[in-house]
Amino acid sequence: MIAAHLLSRSFDGRPAVEEVSFLVPPGKLCALLGPNGAGKTTIVRMLLGLLPPSGGSAEVAGVHLPSSRDQAASLRARAGLLTETPGFYDRLSGAENLDFFGRLYGIPDRELAARTESWLRRLGLWDARDRAFGTYSKGMKQRLALIRAVFHEPAVVFLDEPTAGLDPAAAREVRSLIAELRQEGRTILLCTHHLGEADELADLVGILQRRLLTFGALADLTASTGKIAIRVRGDVARLGPVAESVPGVRGVSIDHDRLELDAEDVEMVTPAAVAKLAAAGGSILEVRPVRTSLETIYLRAVAGAP
Amino acid sequence: MTRTLLLLFCRKELRDLRTNRRIWPGYLMLPVIGVLLPLGLILLFPAVMDPARPIDDPGLRLLLESLQRDHTIHGATFVERLTRLVVRESGLWYLLMPVVLAAGSAALAIVREKEQRTLEPILATPLSDGALVLSKLVGAVGPALLWTWVSAIAGYAVVAVATLIRLGIAIGPTAGNLVGLLFLGPAIAVAAALAAIAASARFTDSQSANLFAGLVIVPITLILLAVLGRPAMIWPWVGFGGTALVSLGCAGLYRRARRRLQRDELLTRWR
Repeated sequence: MIAAHLLSRSFDGRPAVEEVSFLVPPGKLCALLGPNGAGKTTIVRMLLGLLPPSGGSAEVAGVHLPSSRDQAASLRARAGLLTETPGFYDRLSGAENLDFFGRLYGIPDRELAARTESWLRRLGLWDARDRAFGTYSKGMKQRLALIRAVFHEPAVVFLDEPTAGLDPAAAREVRSLIAELRQEGRTILLCTHHLGEADELADLVGILQRRLLTFGALADLTASTGKIAIRVRGDVARLGPVAESVPGVRGVSIDHDRLELDAEDVEMVTPAAVAKLAAAGGSILEVRPVRTSLETIYLRAVAGAP
Repeated sequence: MTRTLLLLFCRKELRDLRTNRRIWPGYLMLPVIGVLLPLGLILLFPAVMDPARPIDDPGLRLLLESLQRDHTIHGATFVERLTRLVVRESGLWYLLMPVVLAAGSAALAIVREKEQRTLEPILATPLSDGALVLSKLVGAVGPALLWTWVSAIAGYAVVAVATLIRLGIAIGPTAGNLVGLLFLGPAIAVAAALAAIAASARFTDSQSANLFAGLVIVPITLILLAVLGRPAMIWPWVGFGGTALVSLGCAGLYRRARRRLQRDELLTRWR
């Protein structure tokens, strides 16, 4: 679990994060969105016990923050971090790098080799294990960094811009690995400004610009707008008034083969509208409720921020 | 803190040294000088110095007078005395070697992690601030001492063979040389490395860190070597006393380095 309560941090009197509160229940993935300099990395550093907060408190994996040095160390043993840049030694091989960090995380010798092999195989890096890290592609480097973030089996994982600078294929690969980690039941805080990434992976979304502007379940934030989009094949101009005559429909807008119905009650109106359009000769291609996009929510929140 | 953890950075530094060919010349040059300098002096110096000839050079006269007064090498022939003096004084090189190597490596200890972006992943591990300082210290001083000791063994062996051939007796290191090699040199190297680690935490580029080590830390330790090193080569107790004194200084430097290497300091005070 990650719980932040009025968490604040300033640098030389300049506030970087102000009174941020949120709760990520165990096993959930929370995406923290925000422009550059919004305070995402500062929040991660505070939650990992790397930076003491100027104000407020937090609880991460059962450790209360701010904490003593020993408690902070025990928190770091229970948490994993993926930084924006992979951060490995170029001259050491992938396996040597993992061995180094594995020992820093205190993974017992007898387990370290087995875990390293298992993760390297799982992420398709086994054949490249003896190659110098400097020769890896960006995607391979990020996959190795992902192994480092999780191979000590942390309960909480912080992922700071995990797909920054990756090509679409490598980004896809990393996203599917994050999805796997989530399925394993880890609590994940994902800092990103890729809205699609948050849309695809997150259970919870927070929008941050120094303060937390919006926070909630993705499904709630992007809840139905009270509109239904119906794609039809047929005479759309003729079908528009047909849809408008359905009880509970307040208005209809037409865009190419798409009718957008403004409904009083989406669940009541949808079956009736579909039946009437079909009876009028329209072939129904797709029916879905119109939801607010994450992009709209983000832009609205950021535009309204002080 | 386990020994494994302390040796972890040392092993990494050794692996790095092994694979980084650009720093090999520097590492190779020091032991070569350590062998060639006394060897050249042993082979050439006595040959060009005739004690019967009047000496105009005041420096040379002073050296010869000190040689006459030095009771530790009394009773030997002039050439043997001069050779013993050369061997004894060349031990200073092995005090200098670990200082230069450790300070150079320690100056980059943190700044290189910043440049490689490995600092934050290291700080995100359970490693404590004190363990980080000690690991970095062992990582910088360990390979420097190892290399110095290997070089000293090789250097003294070559000198012993040369003196055996030249004088018929193998001249080895004095007790002062050994105290310097095993205690005083490592203590000064640790002090220089701790100062360099603390400084390294403040820099963001290798060039500045190297300049600081070369222009500030090494000259200061050279003064320390000049004050303590030479008498320590003659009187072992000076070496032991100097080691104790420098160790006290190391405790203060360790506390300073530990303050500098606190996580929030490192992550927020990059300049």
